[in-house]
Amino acid sequence: MTNKIVLGLVLGGILGILDGLTAWFTPAVRSGIVGIVIGSTMKGVIAGIMIGVFARKVNSLALGIVFGLAVGAFLAWIIAFMQHGYYFQIMLPGAMVGLIVGYATQKYGATSQPQRA
Amino acid sequence: MAPNQQGDAFPLTRHSVVAAAQAHDPQERVRALDAITSAYWRPVYKYVRLRWRLEREDAEDFTQDFFSRLLEKDFLASYDPAKGKLRTFLRTCIDRLFLNQTRDAHRQKRGNAAVHVSLDFEEAEHELAASTQAGSPKDYFEKDYFEKEWVRTLFALAVERLRAQCQLAGKTMQVTLFERYDLGDAEERPSYAALAQEFNIAVTDVTNYLAFARREFRRCVLQQLREMTGSDEEFKREAQSLLGVEPK
Amino acid sequence: MKFLPDQVVARLQTEMQTPDLSGTRYRALKFLGRGGMGSVWLAADAVLHRSVALKVLSAESSSADLAARLMLEAIILARLEHPGIVPVHDAGTLPDGRTFYCMKYVEGHMLEQHVGGLGLRQRLQLIQRIAEPLAFAHSRGIIHRDLKPQNIMVGAFGEVLIMDWGLAKVMAAFSESIPAGQAEGQEPARAMQGPLQSVALASGNTTAHGSVLGTPGYMAPEQERGDVNLIDQRTDVFGLGSILQSAIQDKTGAQRSEPLSRPLWAICNKATAAEMSARYSSVQELADDLGRYLDDMAVSAYQENLFERTVRLVNRNRVAVVLVLAYLLMRMLFILFSRK
Repeated sequence: MTNKIVLGLVLGGILGILDGLTAWFTPAVRSGIVGIVIGSTMKGVIAGIMIGVFARKVNSLALGIVFGLAVGAFLAWIIAFMQHGYYFQIMLPGAMVGLIVGYATQKYGATSQPQRA
Repeated sequence: MAPNQQGDAFPLTRHSVVAAAQAHDPQERVRALDAITSAYWRPVYKYVRLRWRLEREDAEDFTQDFFSRLLEKDFLASYDPAKGKLRTFLRTCIDRLFLNQTRDAHRQKRGNAAVHVSLDFEEAEHELAASTQAGSPKDYFEKDYFEKEWVRTLFALAVERLRAQCQLAGKTMQVTLFERYDLGDAEERPSYAALAQEFNIAVTDVTNYLAFARREFRRCVLQQLREMTGSDEEFKREAQSLLGVEPK
Repeated sequence: MKFLPDQVVARLQTEMQTPDLSGTRYRALKFLGRGGMGSVWLAADAVLHRSVALKVLSAESSSADLAARLMLEAIILARLEHPGIVPVHDAGTLPDGRTFYCMKYVEGHMLEQHVGGLGLRQRLQLIQRIAEPLAFAHSRGIIHRDLKPQNIMVGAFGEVLIMDWGLAKVMAAFSESIPAGQAEGQEPARAMQGPLQSVALASGNTTAHGSVLGTPGYMAPEQERGDVNLIDQRTDVFGLGSILQSAIQDKTGAQRSEPLSRPLWAICNKATAAEMSARYSSVQELADDLGRYLDDMAVSAYQENLFERTVRLVNRNRVAVVLVLAYLLMRMLFILFSRK
């Protein structure tokens, strides 16, 4: 089992890359694909680290999912705000990535501390 | 025959009464057959009275005839312990003899010269009346009647053995208490305190004497059982069955 | 000769069956059943005011050998202090000469009565719990040799207890005190024997070759053949495997309504393999494989193909797979709608 923060970082980064790459299918933003991928990757990594840290502190699948969802949606909102648009197209996938990372860090991350009741 | 130091009227040198009945030593053979007769004549008599509805005199004749034949015809030679219990074999012989005699209309009044055991038919008749209570005896016949009478005779002979042993050992109080308490009617059974008062002993003595007598009774039952079973294997099975454990 | 009425005969028969506990701290309450060499009675302990179970040799006319075996059973139980092995409190000889030992009275159900209301998962978990005390006993050099559902009790608190160690074998290679400076290559069997081994030998607890000890239907093939020298912990693996097989079938002995998976059958087959070398080498291995099966992981008894492995992994990570598929579906829909 992988350390939760590392797992969050890696998974967030990978999903961030994939997320960014799918922007290629939107012709309007295709020209800025490199920046989108870099931004999306960083967003994913930051979200992954935050979710991983949360998973280390709180051992709860439900809370991990909710936190992941919230962090993913929030960071995606920042990106969308900066873009002045595409809120739905950016926030929904971002929230889902956060949800997936939140689930994965709780389910598959290694527990390094004794669990507290 | 006077009982020996263990209170055995018919001490056998072999564990199996059937083996002893086929010994070369004629005295050993006679002793073994007398042991079988003592153990089985009551169940045989009562069985033919109820099962085949023989009148008293006919039942007496049949019983004497059966045990005479047991000695003269060497019935036990055909007994195989591996095939069943001794009492089952004897019951089968009884039925066969009765049916043969009925078929041939040939029932002789035989002398009982071959039978050395005292057959108190009067007493047996009273026991039959006591166990069947009111009504015609034929109404009380049960399928396992022979087996039940076998157990009754086993215990009764064990009581005799216990009495003889205790008298020889000077422990008459023990057997007296045993007879008063364990062999008495349930409704008239005295308490330990009542017995203590009656015999002018402590209640703890009543407890200890009864415990001794029960232990010895158990031993007497097992000794008696050896003389009523056909093989060591049958003895062990019956011992386990009597002690509440079904044989494997 | 005194005539004994029916009620007196019945009373005497009951007294014959009841063990003579006079002078002891116990009072017989109820006949519980037959176990191994003797009968088992519920009794009251007058000193500690609690219910206990007494195992009493069935007939004192039995040889001293049986008495020694019963005493060895008590000694073995006394040395196997484990929550899953019924504890023994006392042992000795009754006033009527019968050997006995006193153990905890277990209020509960036999395994076969208990499993009726359980699902497959719970039954497998129960089998895992049986393995724990067995593994402990094996680590102490004791082989049970008579494992069957009737010898497993589930107590009032759900605890699993292994009963009736009457046929248990003390392995010759295990001794209480092996000299610290034991030379290399020297077999432990030649080391100084401990009290347990000495009692086993003194009591004649050395089963003669050719002796068949065990219960048909649950006996390992080496037991059926009487190959006593081959018997080791794998014999108990077979017994536990037989219990596993009977636990996963319904009461009538027929197959369950839904077919069992191949890995589970493979576990059963490996545990009950006729060849000892083909079985699990220990009950712990069997329990571990059951644990892997319950966790949807690959089991050592079964070689998966690629398809089966994929299905298992998907099954095991169902939620993650659904989430990823949902994400991909969402992405595809976005792509489709963005083209329009």
